[in-house]
Parts: sequence; C-alpha cells; structure tokens
Amino acid sequence: MIEIDRLSVVFGGIHALNRVTVTLMAPVSGIIGPNGAGKTTFLNVLSGFVRPAEGSVRMDGLELLALPPHARARAGLRRSFQREQVVDEMSVEDNVRVVLDPIRLSRAERARLLDRALDYCGLTAVRRERAERLNACERRMTELARTIVGSPQLVLLDEPGAGLSQGEVERLRQVIAGIHAFAGAQTLLIDHDVELIQAVCQDTMVLDFGMLIAAGPTADVLRDARVRAVYLGMEEGTA
Amino acid sequence: MAGQIHLPTAPSALSASAVLPVAAAERAPVNLSAFLVLGVLAIAVPLAANTLWLKVATGVMIYSLTAMSIAVLYRRLGLVSLTHVALMGCGGWVVLRLAHGFDTPFEVNLLCGGLGAGLAGTALAWPALRMRGLYLALVTLMAAGAYAILINVTQFPNGGDGWLGVAVRAVAFMPRPWIALSDQAYFVYCCGIVALGYALIGWHEATRAGRGWAMIRRSEAAAMSVGVNVTLYKVWGFALSGFLAGIAGGLLAGDLQFLDARSFPAAESVMIFALTIVGGAWHWYGALIAAALYRLAPAILNNAGVDGNAAYIFFGLALIQALATAPKGIAGQIAGLLDRLARRGSQG
Ligand SMILES: Nc1ncnc2c1ncn2[C@@H]1O[C@H](COP(=O)(O)OP(=O)(O)OP(=O)(O)O)[C@@H](O)[C@H]1O
Ligand SMILES: [Mg+2]
Repeated sequence: MIEIDRLSVVFGGIHALNRVTVTLMAPVSGIIGPNGAGKTTFLNVLSGFVRPAEGSVRMDGLELLALPPHARARAGLRRSFQREQVVDEMSVEDNVRVVLDPIRLSRAERARLLDRALDYCGLTAVRRERAERLNACERRMTELARTIVGSPQLVLLDEPGAGLSQGEVERLRQVIAGIHAFAGAQTLLIDHDVELIQAVCQDTMVLDFGMLIAAGPTADVLRDARVRAVYLGMEEGTA
Repeated sequence: MAGQIHLPTAPSALSASAVLPVAAAERAPVNLSAFLVLGVLAIAVPLAANTLWLKVATGVMIYSLTAMSIAVLYRRLGLVSLTHVALMGCGGWVVLRLAHGFDTPFEVNLLCGGLGAGLAGTALAWPALRMRGLYLALVTLMAAGAYAILINVTQFPNGGDGWLGVAVRAVAFMPRPWIALSDQAYFVYCCGIVALGYALIGWHEATRAGRGWAMIRRSEAAAMSVGVNVTLYKVWGFALSGFLAGIAGGLLAGDLQFLDARSFPAAESVMIFALTIVGGAWHWYGALIAAALYRLAPAILNNAGVDGNAAYIFFGLALIQALATAPKGIAGQIAGLLDRLARRGSQG
C-alpha cells in the first residue's frame, strides 16, 4: 500500500506536483497524464531523486522520505527509467545480479532468485550475452528483471512500452500483469498507451499540471469527463 | 602539460560507449594474457638487458602499476585524478619510514605503504563526491601540489632519528627484499607485484564492486535505484586506486633504495595521467604502454643522442591524437587491429 499525503514538488516556480494526496492499493496502478504532467517527477520522489517541498510518502507504513535512495532500493522499492538504464558492457545476468549484491543471501539462494527472474522475463537464452547485443525489447525486459528479482515490495515502471512493437507490448503486458503473482509486489505503471493501462491496471490516477485530477478504478477514471478532456487535448497535441 | 588538462577531463564525452562502438575484443579489461606477457617479460628481460636497460624496464613495471591505478578510476567511475605520483610518494614514505624505523620485512612495509596511500586516496574521494570533470581534476592537482610542497619540507626518511626519520649526514639506504637483492631479481619481483595488481583489479571488476561501478558510470540514479551506495563505491574506487599507486611508490623506493623529494612534483602526476589516456585506459596492456612511454621512450631518445625531454613534445602530440581520434588509446587501436586479424583469420 502506498500512502501519499499532500505531496508537492517545486522546480523554480513550477509546481511539478501540487498537493497530491492519494492511496494506492491495487496490485497494478496506472499513472497517466499529458507530457509534463509530473508523472516521472512522482516516481522520482518515491525513489528519492527529487526532494519534495512538502508531504509524506509511505510504503506499507514505512516513511520513505527519511531514507536515502539506495536504502529505499534495499527496502524493496524498485524502478525502471523512461530512458532505459541497462549497462552495455555487462552481461544480461550481471545487469540483474547487481540488485542482489547488497542483499545478504546464500550463494544458492542468490543463483535461484536470479534464474527465476531471468526465466520470468524470458531472458534465459541471452543471459550471458553482453547487453549491447540486445534489441530494444530485451533491454526493457532486462530492466524489468532488475525490478522483480529478489523480494520487491513496490515496482515503479516509467513508460516501459515506449518504442516497442505491438507484439512486444503484448509480451510486456503479460509480464507486468503477472508481477504481483510472481513477486507479491505492488506495481505503479506510467504509460501513454491507454490500452495497456486498461488491460493491466485495476486502479489509475491521472495527473495534469502537477494536480491529481482523478483516481480510482481504471474504467471509472477513463470515463471521467475531466480526464477525457485532458486526454483529448493531449491527443490533439501529440498527433 | 598543464594547459591541456581540460582535454581529458570530459571522460563521459570521450569514452562513453555511445560515442564509439566498443571493440569486441574488449571483453574483460584484465585477462589471462596479462599474466602470460608478464611471465615472458620476467624471464626475457633479465636475460637480454644490461644494467642500464634493466633499470629502465624496472621503472616501466613500477609505473605500469601507477597507470593501472589511474586507469581503473577513469574507466570505472569516469574520474580524473591528477594526483597519483603524489600517492606513490605517500606509499614510498611509509615504506621507507617502516624499513628504517622498525626493520620490518619489505612485504609488510609495501602492504602498509599501499594502505597508507589508499587512505590518502579516500581523502580525495571526498571532493569527488561533490564535483566532477574539470573541477575535480583541479582539486586533485592542487592536492598533488600540496603534497610536493609538504614532502620537500619533510623529505623522505633515510635512516635518521625522530618521527620524520631524516638524517642530514650518514644517509642509509633501504634494504631490498631478501629474495630480490639483485637488479635482475628485483625486476622479476616487480613483475610479480604488477601481476598481483592486475589480479586485484580483475577480481574487483568481475565482482560486486565492478558491477556497482558500472552502474554508477551508466548513471548515479540508475545505481541508486538498484541499491548501490554511490558514496561507498566511489570511496572504494579511490581506496583501491590509491592502494595500487602506494604499492608502486613502495616498489620505487625499493628499486632506488631511497627517494628524492624533488622527484614528486605535481606535473609528473599530470604527465602520467595523460600517458594513461594515450596508452589506453580500457585494456590491460594500456598501462604497460603508458609506463613504457613514460620511462622507456625518453631512455631510447637519450640513447640515440636526442634530449629525452623531446619525448614530451611527442607525448603532447600523442595526447591530442588520442583525444581526437582514439579515445581508447593506443591499446584500443591495437585491440581493433587484433580483432580485424582474428576475423580475417577465421574467414580465410
Ligand atoms: N529536474 C528538473 N528540474 C526542473 N524541472 C523539471 C525537472 N524534472 C521535471 N521538471 C519539470 O517538471 C514538470 C513535470 O515533468 P515530468 O518529467 O514529471 O513529466 P512527465 O509527466 O513524466 O512527462 P512525460 O510524459 O513527457 O514523461 C515538467 O514541466 C518538467 O519540465
Ligand atoms: Mg516522464
């Protein structure tokens, strides 16, 4: 469960987030909104890269804002980035193994968790390849494997479907939908692909100019008049 | 050289793999061929070289440790340190102090020298946590300058009394390790330590530290998001780098059996950094090439009747060439060549 209370972020005069208060409990929650709405900023506050002007963030009762970013990761907060952050010079498995490094585990347990995550993301065949040889989809999957290996509590995904083909998004959809069953973790998913959000997110929150304009069951939210206005506006803008 | 230091201080622009396709040969920066080559050198050089060239070769070995210690910091964390000759001096000071003061075995002194310089290296991590690029390079350069002043005041221990151990008269020479008393044996000894240095770096890069550094290099945000404690890993990198430079300083003290405070100016740190880039920070043999340029090239010029300082002009040109056309240095070019040969061999 994620409890956000009066969260505000200010970047020199711009309110990137403006008093956002929301509680997220669904296994997979979506975050949507037009470009510059504050979606990435929201994740950045959760992972500790952006310090909010006010507010509090709790993950299963744990006050996150008190912890440095790496400690949040060790507490089970995982994320992927809008610009994927796979290391080219490392093998796929090392790219994932790095998450388990700071965690105290037996050698056998470490190997088992790694195998399981690679298998779940369909990377077993390429696990020893250097990441530079991967295609865009495999790179996204490598980053996803990083977020689910071990025992994550909360997985934050920032536009994981960007730049993928229709078929690849379908694979991605299955992987994301299964995270809760696979690792018991709650997921927050940012994406501009409303079909993907509809397919995997039980709940969705909508941001616009840093304000929370709707939150609740995905179907209801997408029917909301304000949300439709914002989204139609965005689609005109981007099309 | 000082006018050029702004060139190598943009490591991300120079060496990011996005700029150049990574050569396929460059899989692990340290590999078995390093030990093979060192083994061959350890046998061949003492047989072939006279006293003069043996001295030069020993210098090459010692400075290749320094170059590899600079390279690991640059390669893994993208950090420019212009202070490694000063760190060698720290290691050398500790080794001389212990040898003259306590008669402890050379290996113990060497280890302590490494640890002492490693500690000094971690002090440099402090500014490195706050700044990067040119600013960090300048801070490390100032640290090297401060060291040069300090050591000129204190001098290196030479068997005297007191805490500093400096004697004005009756200067004593530090004994070499008993298994490596002759110049030949000492060269082989240095080869062995260089091999250990490669092993230490290789081990770091292949394990947890290497993965953490690689993440930091990708981006600090990405590193933090997978639980890497960026501060700790940077300090760790500096400690390892300082340790190796300190070992090099200790070996230098053992080679000469004393150290002269005047031979540790800040400019030498800049020079050895520049040569590390020219030699190539991304392949294990880059360090050997850098050290050969630093010690061997001037000796060859001198031998040919040319002023050895002419090498510095050549180094300046080589640095510009490296920065403009070969960000992975001479070693990178050799690796590319070997790669092409191997491909041709497998085709034909
Ligand atoms: N580090 C920063 N410094 C200053 N302004 C920032 C910073 N990060 C984000 N912003 C601004 O905050 C606002 C929200 O940006 P954010 O990246 O969170 O949007 P987003 O919803 O993720 O958009 P997109 O869909 O394009 O990814 C934008 O106006 C952006 O320019
Ligand atoms: Mg974004």
